[in-house]
Amino acid sequence: MNELRLMAPAAPGGGWDQTARAMQQALQQSALVRVVPVDNVPGAAGTIGLARFIGAERGSGDTLLVSGLIMLGGIVMHQSPVTLHDVVPIARLTGEYEVIAVPAASPFHSLREFLDAFKARPESISWGGGSAGGSDQMLAGLVAEAVGIAPHRINYVAFSGGGESLSAILGSQVSAGVNGLAEFEAQMDAGTLRALAISSAERLPGLDVPTLREQGVDVAFENWRAVMAPPGISASDRERLERTVDAMVHTPAWRDMVARYRWLDRYLAGPELARFIDTEEQRVRGILAKLDAGHDRSSTVTSSGPYPLIVLGGVVVFGLAAGRSIMRSAKTDARGGPFPRLGPLALMGVGIALHLLMLERVGFVGAAAVLFWFTARAFDARHPLRDGILAVALSIGSYLLFARVLQLQLPAGVLARWL
Amino acid sequence: MGETLAALRVGFASALTPVHLAWALAGVTLGTAVGVLPGIGPALTVALLLPVTFTLDPTSAFIMFGGIYYGAMYGGSTTSILLNTPGETASIATAIDGYVMARQGRAAAALTTAAVGSFVAGTLATIALTFFSPPLASLALRFGPAEYFALAILAFATVSTLLGGSLLRGLFSLFLGLALGLVGIDQLTGDARFSFGIPQLLDGIDVLILVIGLFAVGETMYQAWRHGQDDTSDVPPQKLTGMSRDDWRRSWKPWLRGTAIGFPLGVLPCGGSVIPTFLSYTIEKRLSEAPDRFGHGAIEGVAGPEAANNAAAAGVLVPLLTLGLPSSATAAVMLAAFQQYGLQPGPLLFASRPDLVWTLVASLYIGNVMLLVLNLPLVGLWARVMLVPRPLLFGGILVLASLGAYSLNRSMLDLVLLFLVGIVGCAMRMYDIPLVPAVLGLVLGPLAELQFRRELAISEGDLTVFVTRPICVGLLLVAALVLMAPWLLRRWKPEVVEAPS
Repeated sequence: MNELRLMAPAAPGGGWDQTARAMQQALQQSALVRVVPVDNVPGAAGTIGLARFIGAERGSGDTLLVSGLIMLGGIVMHQSPVTLHDVVPIARLTGEYEVIAVPAASPFHSLREFLDAFKARPESISWGGGSAGGSDQMLAGLVAEAVGIAPHRINYVAFSGGGESLSAILGSQVSAGVNGLAEFEAQMDAGTLRALAISSAERLPGLDVPTLREQGVDVAFENWRAVMAPPGISASDRERLERTVDAMVHTPAWRDMVARYRWLDRYLAGPELARFIDTEEQRVRGILAKLDAGHDRSSTVTSSGPYPLIVLGGVVVFGLAAGRSIMRSAKTDARGGPFPRLGPLALMGVGIALHLLMLERVGFVGAAAVLFWFTARAFDARHPLRDGILAVALSIGSYLLFARVLQLQLPAGVLARWL
Repeated sequence: MGETLAALRVGFASALTPVHLAWALAGVTLGTAVGVLPGIGPALTVALLLPVTFTLDPTSAFIMFGGIYYGAMYGGSTTSILLNTPGETASIATAIDGYVMARQGRAAAALTTAAVGSFVAGTLATIALTFFSPPLASLALRFGPAEYFALAILAFATVSTLLGGSLLRGLFSLFLGLALGLVGIDQLTGDARFSFGIPQLLDGIDVLILVIGLFAVGETMYQAWRHGQDDTSDVPPQKLTGMSRDDWRRSWKPWLRGTAIGFPLGVLPCGGSVIPTFLSYTIEKRLSEAPDRFGHGAIEGVAGPEAANNAAAAGVLVPLLTLGLPSSATAAVMLAAFQQYGLQPGPLLFASRPDLVWTLVASLYIGNVMLLVLNLPLVGLWARVMLVPRPLLFGGILVLASLGAYSLNRSMLDLVLLFLVGIVGCAMRMYDIPLVPAVLGLVLGPLAELQFRRELAISEGDLTVFVTRPICVGLLLVAALVLMAPWLLRRWKPEVVEAPS
């Protein structure tokens, strides 16, 4: 293939981004694909990226979305109008086990001690982990259920990003932490974190951490990542994507990447993949429903409480007060100067409206040139022709800089063939 | 201490080899360029470069990443000062007085104090990083949600210096920002709030959309509206010479204070440079002999925040290198890069790869010098931007603002929001409603709410935690001091002014 575009529905640095960038390297190094641009569309557990992917890429045979278990969680949590049924699964690639750990200074020395305290008074144990509805909270929920505590009673404290939750765990701000093995491993080696259990079914070779199962908690859990193609692609495109990904997972470059990031090779493609995703979806729905069961209980500890009302009230009160003070000062001021001309503002408004209408239809160059020219006119530019030439030159220049040098996709529009 | 110096000497020996110097130069040049462009930050740049650097040895790659990271902090101030368009949250505070200075014909002085201040802060902070990393990192771990909440309250107290003439209008602006901050997913529960079923709103409103909309677009619209009224608002001829003796006298203390504020706050993973830069701005205004000058082109208002933002950037590296904790987007990407090279960033990194860590630290010193040498000659060139005729300048600003906003998420909704915010910003200018409180409301409101509720969840609803944890209480007391400072200073003013400088 000449070009395969990857969308990572998360910010640079996270697991999906790392997956996309590892694929990028494996595909380019092994010359399977010539160029592999990665596009980050972060937000809402990947569902913003999913919606964009389905909306903008329908029928494109040269693009893949990185997805996984956490996106399933996001779809359920945020009641996403689009789901993984709207995309074409190509392959599951990797898996990662979760670890439950406590800081070195913690009074808990084994999973038994920890779970005894949890069972005695569930709310007194705070679990720190990643975003609400993500894999970390899912594991906490599965563990609670397995030991006979209703999952919604878990005092789960969501943090954004690995750094935030890790620092809260290391600093003993929370009782225990749940995270992927890779995120905890360095701290476990250094002795700053004590791993109580790992979510794998069997003990991992070379890792002295007991599984949940061998400690009497019947849970095995794994966070997996996969790639999806957009809906509406042709059978031949689909086959070509599957072939490319299949070739990639067998390259030494990809194996090397999997080893470096300490992922598990979980390659799975074909009809089994669709079945796997369906089973996982049922599982995620089940566990999230249980986590959510007491969600609307009157407890104000986790619900957002009166804060939004206070803020909106503040806007109204201070808005009215500020409005009054403005009216009053306008009266006493009585500058009485000539009413300002609205012409320039109107000209700019026309430029902005055209810019917005043209950007994704005509392309960036045309839209930016129009915005520039109208704004210049609004400030009485006296050389419409010169400004027009300048506007086009500036637009083409910034387009080339962003799209070609920095590889940030801007709409090329009608000029796509020449730029 | 001796051991550290010896290790650093070895690091310098490695960093000063021609190959490593070349990578450092490439990094700082690229970083400066990336910092100047709005909408693209150091995190994305490092991520984009990962495949290119994979064939390099890890030391060269990290020297370049370090250069990009520091360089972006230098470059970020440029568009803030010249075009009122901050490309990163770190340079929002710089725009307040920096842009006014540029319109007064003092763009070169503002850019110089930003560059030299960045150098001073970057170097001092790198020294602190060299010698005090482990104790600082363990101190940072003592910060829990209660302390971060107190820090957010302290930052809210700084709003009091930014309210402008009318308290009511300032509070209105603040609450507008707080209300915008409600939009998006409630992080603790995962519920969507005020997103009106629009998926793009689930992630909240990006602070850069608000800032670029209010500052750049709003200002352009306001100027267009005034343009019909009077034509006297032209930019006076630029002094391209840089800082006067008086500018230097007024800048050096803000640089040092900015560093002292920025570095420790950078070590804390509390999200971005907004708090340190605005704290620095507030402290400079509070300590100034002429607080009225702030907002009207006070060089201290550029010098302090710029130093604070660079020192904070160095601080972010402390938890990354000593604990393996990424506390910013760039740090997260660098952490991933460590893994890609098969290195395990964490408490053992200093022990397992001292060569790499110390070469990286040494190259940060070198990169800082390179950045100063690179940026000072550019000042004169950049300042000439202000000589561009007004119609073309404002046309360029709008194109840049739109480009920056669109490339954040490539979302049309962001772009529509940008121009809507611009209209609001124009109206706020017409009616003398200050803009900055809205920005702080959007940044700090969600932070304060989240940390407050997080602490309550951990303490099972026990409110007394906020008055029993010593660091938390200390920060809340400082917040009270900041609020009462005008009153206190009025009582003590005579001594303050006569203190030998």
